[in-house]
Amino acid sequence: MDNIEELIAKLAQDEETVQPAPHPFMLSLKWMGWAVVYLFLSLMLSGLRPDLMLKLHEPWFDTEIAALACIFVSTSLSAALLSFPDMHQMRRLTFLPMIAFVLFVLVMFFAWQAENPHAPLPIHSFECTVSITLFALLPAGWTFYAMHKFASTHYHWAGSSALLSAFSVGALWLRLHEINDSITHVVEWHYLPMIAFGIAGLWLGKKILKW
Amino acid sequence: MTDKADNFEVLMKQALHGDQRAYADLLRATSHFLRPFLAKRLSFTNEVEDLLQEILISIHKARHTYDGNRSYKPWVYAIAKFRLQDYLRAHYSDQLHHAIELSDVEESLSEHVTETAINYESISGEVQKLPEKQATILQLMHQEGYTAKEVAEKMGMNESAVKVAAHRAYKVLRNKLER
Repeated sequence: MDNIEELIAKLAQDEETVQPAPHPFMLSLKWMGWAVVYLFLSLMLSGLRPDLMLKLHEPWFDTEIAALACIFVSTSLSAALLSFPDMHQMRRLTFLPMIAFVLFVLVMFFAWQAENPHAPLPIHSFECTVSITLFALLPAGWTFYAMHKFASTHYHWAGSSALLSAFSVGALWLRLHEINDSITHVVEWHYLPMIAFGIAGLWLGKKILKW
Repeated sequence: MTDKADNFEVLMKQALHGDQRAYADLLRATSHFLRPFLAKRLSFTNEVEDLLQEILISIHKARHTYDGNRSYKPWVYAIAKFRLQDYLRAHYSDQLHHAIELSDVEESLSEHVTETAINYESISGEVQKLPEKQATILQLMHQEGYTAKEVAEKMGMNESAVKVAAHRAYKVLRNKLER
């Protein structure tokens, strides 16, 4: 009891004006803003796929990009909420990525069915995964760095959301840059590795965000 | 009730503006409602006090994640549960570690007791009274140090038959020694 009183006195003595953390919506907006700038700059440097205007007239391509953007937005928001001990008392919103993923799987399934005849597989394979990974390193780094300053009590999920968010930007970049029409290829070498990295984020979250 | 609930949020807002007295009052009030919460989940008072200290330090570290515009208690309980889980995880893994050490000790203790209190020599008279085959098996295994497999080869039996015979012999010996 005396120890508690002593501790309280000591903590109170250290107390000074503290700037409260921004609202998770603002936080995620900030992260997304940086990611979008990074995406635009990267596309400016690497170039857009030459057939992009044509592809944008294909409904399944548009839906795929929109679903991928949904994953990016929902995982960013979820990562921001999960950075707070109480998830800013908006627990339900942290489940948004699950809905986005279900939607994404459905979109990919229908896009694959609509692909008739199936587009030929490109000659490259793992190079896409490597490119996405390299692209995602920077957003993953800054998101983890920013989250580290908060106090996540669900660090596994926070780590997973952060990595998924970063890798979804990477996947978006490659889809807008690479000339490739094979759904099988994008699922195998773009999206499945992205999910695998999301799972790895569970471990990384524990390593980096534990406090 | 509402006034009291509002009070936490107000105190925290004041604390975030550097009001040390408000902060001390808030931490004191927090420790009052957290103590029974922890006492329900932990067995010893010293554990409760230790963990309460950890939680208060965690609240201090994470206070910038609270803005005073939402309920204070859910925020505190999220931190308290998080630290409690951490504590219990560490506690049980520590217990498991000790359990392994104890089993090692137990093994060596039983060896020691068998060697000093009851050894083959001290009961050899009783062993000789057993049927010839059982006595030979025990003699080979415990006096000459053969394994059950080696005894089986030596006596032209299979290994499980040797083990069964040895087991029956132990049973007879135990009954005689217990009398």
